[in-house]
Amino acid sequence: MTGVELILLLPLIVLSGAAVAVMLAIAVRRNYLAAFLLTLLGFVLTIMAVALSPGGPQRNVTALFVFDDFARFFIGLITGAGLFVAVLAFDYFRQQRGQFEEFFIMLLGATFGCAVLVASRHFASLFLGLEILSVSLYAMIAYSRDREISTEAGLKYLILAGVSAAFLVFGMALVYAQTGALEFSRMPYITASPDEPLDIIVLAGFGMIIVGIGFKLALVPFHLWTPDVYQGAPAPVTAFIATASKGAVFALLLRLFAQTDVAFYPPLYVTFVILAIASMLFGSWLALLQNNMKRILAYSSIAHLGFLLVAFMGRGHIQSTAAAFYLTAYFVTTLGAFGIVSLLSPGERDAEWIEDYRGLFWRRPFVAVVFSVMIFSLAGIPLTGGFVGKVLVILAGEQAAQWALVVVLVTASAISLFYYVRVVGIMYMPAEAGGADRPALPGLSLQGGGALACLTGLLVLLGVYPGPFLDLVRDMVTTVYAGVLPR
Amino acid sequence: MATIPIHYGLLLAALLFVVGLVGVLVRRNILFILMSIEIMLNAAGLAFVVGGARWGRADGQVMVIIILTVAAAEVAVGLALVLRFHGWFKSLDADRASEMRG
Repeated sequence: MTGVELILLLPLIVLSGAAVAVMLAIAVRRNYLAAFLLTLLGFVLTIMAVALSPGGPQRNVTALFVFDDFARFFIGLITGAGLFVAVLAFDYFRQQRGQFEEFFIMLLGATFGCAVLVASRHFASLFLGLEILSVSLYAMIAYSRDREISTEAGLKYLILAGVSAAFLVFGMALVYAQTGALEFSRMPYITASPDEPLDIIVLAGFGMIIVGIGFKLALVPFHLWTPDVYQGAPAPVTAFIATASKGAVFALLLRLFAQTDVAFYPPLYVTFVILAIASMLFGSWLALLQNNMKRILAYSSIAHLGFLLVAFMGRGHIQSTAAAFYLTAYFVTTLGAFGIVSLLSPGERDAEWIEDYRGLFWRRPFVAVVFSVMIFSLAGIPLTGGFVGKVLVILAGEQAAQWALVVVLVTASAISLFYYVRVVGIMYMPAEAGGADRPALPGLSLQGGGALACLTGLLVLLGVYPGPFLDLVRDMVTTVYAGVLPR
Repeated sequence: MATIPIHYGLLLAALLFVVGLVGVLVRRNILFILMSIEIMLNAAGLAFVVGGARWGRADGQVMVIIILTVAAAEVAVGLALVLRFHGWFKSLDADRASEMRG
């Protein structure tokens, strides 16, 4: 391994080093604040390492990793999400009884798994990254010891992730048995021989890989326990699953099917179209029936992944740019929304019922306004990042001539407006008299308020002045096609 | 030694995988569900061994070892969760885990 390769690997080295450092610090002396600060330091150093590392297309490190601009962009995004989740978790767990220092080790580990995932170019690193992420998440989801639903959610996620990993790895084995390829770049390429049908075993292998990824992204036939997991997990963990975990798997999907165009083989292509349509419609429709804020946001995230798949259905610079921009806006919004749920949660239970938000504006005007901005962005109202993202995705779908998908996207967005408006409306209703049975709202800490203000500012900036960021995304993300597509 | 055709090996692996999947869907005891997941993962391992034998390379075997390692890590965390579950519900019946619906 050369010096350049070590420098390229630096983000991964720093992240894993930070996890070990926090573990050792806890072994020497338990201190919640110190563990939190060390974690923050680890995340900040990782972001610096990503920013300073030499970019460009096709920076391969061994057979396992590639640190091109695509990987740098997504590692930066995911580490940023990890940073915000750490801030949220610090406030959240401080109100509960118990020892929560180890939570930060898990958080660093899960972020490390995500980073491995987006930088992988080989089935081995893909599987390892995914499992590092999953195993850390089992522990994080079940972390609230004194809550029954937390354990239940952890167990459900364990079974779900175990089955999805089995599907994924069996699919890999089939592809390997038939083609002898474990690296993405050596996978079959159908446009090279368009008349020749794909081998049935390879097709089955990729089908099972898609099932495994579908579980991870909570696309509709595979979404069954997702809302339960979102509801039962501690709110900061839910924020992490909805953003970093899904974002990393989606980035992996983009890379895997940029290197091999098997996704555009008709049977698989139709599968993706069906998954996208089902996710958009069912996600939006089922969210209408919920009274639990975490479940509403869970179904909303299912629908959003469906929207993202629309951008995935084409192959080119417009599609990948749209997907990355949409994903960034979704990260900011979802972190903000779950962040508010997390910051409003008193120690005993999460502020998850929609009634908890009645009249929020009259009690906490700042939080209510921030939450409204987040909901508007999820709904795709102009002047927010979500709107620009949605426009880009529609353009990408139009470019790929996927009219059916675009129509469903617009329909699903219209349906989703109903529950978004309901959530916003209830916050501005007058708080009813005698609401004393409601638990008192915890005070907003300086770092919590700062994080919310920061996310809101980012979101409005993305919505009002997206130009510079859009250029950055286009330059960085399209490196995924280096050596595959002519520019 | 006569060589076994590759499809027989893949068929056996697929059969094992289906046995595991049916186990996950049918069994209600959490321990058996975890064991069924192990069967599915090992079926994938077997398919990798078959593939490695076909191509005469070591990377299939390397994948098997990775799968075994990861499965062990998963079970370690999984059993801890099962213990917690038993502490709450005094049972290992997965259907008892139905606090959340919708």
